Amino acid sequence: MAELKLLLKYRDVPGIENIDVWESCGGYEGLKKALTMERSAVIDEMKISAVRGRGGAGFPAWIKWSGVLKHTDAPHYLICNGDEGEPGTFKDRELMLKLAHQLVEGMIIAAYATNTDKGYVYIRGEFVEPAKSVRKAIDQAYAKGYLGRGILGREDFNFDLYIHMGAGSYECGEETALMSSLMGERGQPRLKFPHGALPVDAGVWDSPTLINNVETYSCAPHILRNGGAWYASMGTERSKGTKIISVSGHVKKPGNYEIELGTPLMEVLDLAGGVIGGKLKAIIPGGSSVPILPAEKCVGVNMDYESCQAAGTMLGSGGFMVFNEKTDIVILMRRTAEFYAHESCGKCTPCREGTRWMFKILDRIVSGSGQPSDIDLLLNVCDQIDGRSYCPLGDAAAWPIRAGIKNFREEFEYWITHKKSPIGGDCVPPVPYRINPALIPLS
Amino acid sequence: MPDIEWVYIKINGIALKVPKGEMIIESAKRIGVEIPFFCYHPRLSMKEGGANCRMCLVEVASRMPDGSLRKMPKPQTSCSLPAAEGMEIETDTEALNADRRGVLEFLLINHPLDCPICDRGGECPLQNNTMHYGPPTTRFIEEKRHFPKAYPLSQYVVFDRERCIHCARCTRFTRDISGDEELNFLWRGADMEVATFDHTEYNSRFSGNVIELCPVGALLSRPYRFKARPWDLQSAKSICTQCSNGCNIKLDYRLDRIHRVNARLNEDVNEEWTCDKGKFGMDYISDESRLKTPMIRRNGELSPASWEEVLYLIASELKNAEGEVAGVGGAYSSNEDIYVFQKFMRETLRSKHIDHRMGPNFQSYNSGLLKRFGCPAMGNPIAELEDMKSTLIFGSNFVDEQPILYLRVRKGWRFKRNKVVEAAPQGLISEEIRHVTQFAEVSLNYKNGTELPLAQGLLAALFEDKGRPLGEQKLLSHLSGKNVAQCASETGVDEKDIRKAAELLATDKMCIFAGEYVTHSPDATAILEVLGDIAVLTGNAGNLNVPVSRNNEQGAMELGILPDMLPGYVEEQNPGMNTEEILSACVKEDLKALWVMNTDLVKEYHNSDLANSAMDACPFVVVTALAITDTAAKANVVLPVHSVAEKWGTFTNVERRVQAFCKAFEISPDIHAEWKVFSDLSSMLGSPMTYADGKDILNEIVKSVPTFAKCGPNTLGDEGVILNPVAGGKE
Ligand SMILES: Cc1cc2nc3c(=O)[nH]c(=O)nc-3n(C[C@H](O)[C@H](O)[C@H](O)COP(=O)(O)O)c2cc1C
Ligand code: SF4
Ligand code: SF4
Ligand code: SF4
Ligand code: FES
Repeated sequence: MAELKLLLKYRDVPGIENIDVWESCGGYEGLKKALTMERSAVIDEMKISAVRGRGGAGFPAWIKWSGVLKHTDAPHYLICNGDEGEPGTFKDRELMLKLAHQLVEGMIIAAYATNTDKGYVYIRGEFVEPAKSVRKAIDQAYAKGYLGRGILGREDFNFDLYIHMGAGSYECGEETALMSSLMGERGQPRLKFPHGALPVDAGVWDSPTLINNVETYSCAPHILRNGGAWYASMGTERSKGTKIISVSGHVKKPGNYEIELGTPLMEVLDLAGGVIGGKLKAIIPGGSSVPILPAEKCVGVNMDYESCQAAGTMLGSGGFMVFNEKTDIVILMRRTAEFYAHESCGKCTPCREGTRWMFKILDRIVSGSGQPSDIDLLLNVCDQIDGRSYCPLGDAAAWPIRAGIKNFREEFEYWITHKKSPIGGDCVPPVPYRINPALIPLS
Repeated sequence: MPDIEWVYIKINGIALKVPKGEMIIESAKRIGVEIPFFCYHPRLSMKEGGANCRMCLVEVASRMPDGSLRKMPKPQTSCSLPAAEGMEIETDTEALNADRRGVLEFLLINHPLDCPICDRGGECPLQNNTMHYGPPTTRFIEEKRHFPKAYPLSQYVVFDRERCIHCARCTRFTRDISGDEELNFLWRGADMEVATFDHTEYNSRFSGNVIELCPVGALLSRPYRFKARPWDLQSAKSICTQCSNGCNIKLDYRLDRIHRVNARLNEDVNEEWTCDKGKFGMDYISDESRLKTPMIRRNGELSPASWEEVLYLIASELKNAEGEVAGVGGAYSSNEDIYVFQKFMRETLRSKHIDHRMGPNFQSYNSGLLKRFGCPAMGNPIAELEDMKSTLIFGSNFVDEQPILYLRVRKGWRFKRNKVVEAAPQGLISEEIRHVTQFAEVSLNYKNGTELPLAQGLLAALFEDKGRPLGEQKLLSHLSGKNVAQCASETGVDEKDIRKAAELLATDKMCIFAGEYVTHSPDATAILEVLGDIAVLTGNAGNLNVPVSRNNEQGAMELGILPDMLPGYVEEQNPGMNTEEILSACVKEDLKALWVMNTDLVKEYHNSDLANSAMDACPFVVVTALAITDTAAKANVVLPVHSVAEKWGTFTNVERRVQAFCKAFEISPDIHAEWKVFSDLSSMLGSPMTYADGKDILNEIVKSVPTFAKCGPNTLGDEGVILNPVAGGKE
């Protein structure tokens, strides 16, 4: 198992953002094939392919698809989650920027399979260029009759695709918060099963809704073109197909690398040209939300859902961050905590108050005022957040800090005792985070 | 009633049967298991804003399809967890206690803990939960979040952002209940704060409720701020006097001062809400301006006098008047005052000239309604309104005229997907855009004064609809031969909209409200006939509601402060004069004395010139009042009488519900109950009345007025009792 380009195969073909170039690479063949099949047969192909959601949770895609198709009454909606906010992850950006037709084709296939006639691509607000590419692809697809009324002569298949830009909130990538945001409400999550309905039963506007990640939809054209069995021939027993890994940090060639699931973690590091600036210290393999792996635990781990889990971390969204030995883990954790404190939507008590508190403690430690009790306090605050919050953002804020302390406790202790970095002089903490001072008085 | 599906669950090992889907926090109450909470509120929606405080966590094992039990790995919020067959719940484990300590510690890290100067201190859920479940100390040594303390949101509400625990009760209230959507959150994470849009004034008819909903001292009442500690207050069960809806309230007082008004639960009337008129409008009771001794006009000036002196004077003047006396007012007095007043006028003074009405319309639409539908005001009880599939609000500034009925109708729309059709004169809709119009399925925006043709248009549309029976010739006669198109052009409303509205009305469980633009119209009787036809034609006869608007206006009707009706709507053979005729008679000096019953006549009577000249011309005017009003200032004698806080009594609200209020305190021994004044005078004039107290009078009413038969002082209870239907009224 190694690098295996499937979604990224045509990334570097000149003009691939144009529909005819995409078509000349076999584009929209998958859609045409799908339209010769029953809707449920398309879902069967997805089932055989066993492709799992690439947004982070790894939920089998076909289960959601068939969950929407089974509703025969209300309108259905399709949403593509292009909010990509997870630090360390930048694959969806490239998929939308360069291979927008692949995504659009995948969404049309999903729309057909789920009997849906309206779809939204929810794109992270900062992704202006990727959004322009998606816009262009949508326009070209309309012009060619792949979108709109009676697609490819099929009277019973209409599909309109819209773009909705996010407004700069990580939490809006969480599927229920995304739906609130899409409906014009505050970007806060909504009740989940068993407290509330599943999106496939009552999502946006209380209608059956399919939500998948950009990469998940982008797999569909290939699965339909080549068959689910072909797709399932790649990867491991339970993690089929390929995954795009966004490699960043202290490596020679940061970038997106598509690998067959199950590829050894260290091979991904090699693909990116290896560590630079010193020896490997640690890797966060799946985006900032997943636990950090110290170098010695990286060996023997494979990049698939199960192997990562067994190693005490997660494949997540494939945000692969590499840290060399000059990295100060406490400062890294402070920065991570700052991110979650800043991105907490504020809805629930543990995450709203706990993430800010964790950040304040870590900030104090790197400002030279750490106390011996702070480490246990941090761990305890993590326990009070993890599993108690309204949505997984709270858990995701607790896991990295807990893993950081577990694996690098001595660095925290060093900071607290010596009031300076164990690494050396060039680790200067950034300006402390300030709470928003905006207090506009009634005038 | 749809059949309830029951499921069997276990809470802390105790088996119980609960309705499927009931929230576990509610199920636990059934067996007396208490689960702490902050954000949960059964009347606020869960879906968007609920389940945020995480205080109500429980451990759950759910039953799998194969019958096995599976413990959920994370604790679950019981406020949002629907009961399902076989579920087993633990509420009292070591882990949960740690979770609760954790949540409370989190809530307190940014909480100022300035309980000693907080209005909520002593009745604060955060204090209480912390005492029961919280950590004794904090591990937080950083700087807390700071905001300026008292941030005014409106004339009534002040906001202490530091104390807010972000439970979203207030924000959900403005969305789910009041509907003005004025409050929402700004920013996010720990910077999140409740705010109005662009920090403009919190503009709501119902803002006071958020003060009671707030589980901490974040949203506070400006008038009450720093006035008292809750444990220093006494509380009297009372009824709001600010409109006819009759909200159940608690008057919280110290010595003889009202400090605040809180809602009192009555599921049939106000649920647990009040409007701001009620919550902030009851301070007149302990206002400085309260009159504390009788006043007599001497040398052109009102000056204090003793009760003995004034009663003697009044008795002799009334005796000399020999029946040439009249009485107006009564809509602000208790049922007991009203009953004794009309008895005093009719039996002691032998005058039939009494009327409470102040509007321009004396065609007595009430009696018209009474004859046709057997109902003199509202055909539907308030609680039923939320179950009306379709509601027509016709010619009413509904939120202001009938605040609590408005909330019920909106509740039906918000939570039960009922439909609302609005018909309002042009101008009103744009001004009140955020109220009925906001959720009405159709808004008919008619030219001013065209209520009649619009009602006819709706009726015509119902006739033209092929599914309706066409045989009802009598109903057709009210159309004056008009068709929908003609009505549309007369009213300036789109014909399509009229038809669409009519379509929405053509359902069972439809009800109609006629507001002040109908009752004040010169065509009132005709419009009500047509609206009545619509009700009959759609199979909803009896669902016509013409709600009165003043405090005890309904009681004044029921107990006969009308020239043509005795108590219980017994017709008077030779009617007396109505308000207009009484005032005109005063001007013509045909009357020797006028009694104004606790009403600011010159302000309230629609024709103030007539009212003023009548007051000037009448040789002897007695006014009962709480303070010197413009009307009292013109009287010969002014008598200070009790407010709602100073006696026991009852009011009849808009849905004909008789509700009792209790005495809180006495302001001065020289202020008397109104009925006491009449009974004393009656005795002086040779017809002794020997009532010991209000209950004595109510007992007499119960015996003598059949509609009141079920309303004895001991049967009213806390919820009150709806009057019996009027005998023999139905068409
Ligand atoms: C805090 C948070 C942020 C998330 N952000 C994203 C995101 O940016 N993009 C994404 O595809 N999924 C994101 N997810 C996962 C989504 O909730 C959801 O699982 C996903 O869109 C489902 O698509 P998939 O099944 O194709 O993975 C996020 C989840 C959480 C809890
Ligand atoms: S865990 Fe709570 S505060 Fe954090 S993002 Fe989710 S809902 Fe918002
Ligand atoms: S102001 Fe009060 S009611 Fe509103 S969110 Fe804060 S604590 Fe809750
Ligand atoms: S609705 Fe009427 S009765 Fe209720 S509080 Fe307001 S004014 Fe008082
Ligand atoms: S009461 Fe259940 S989460 Fe707040």
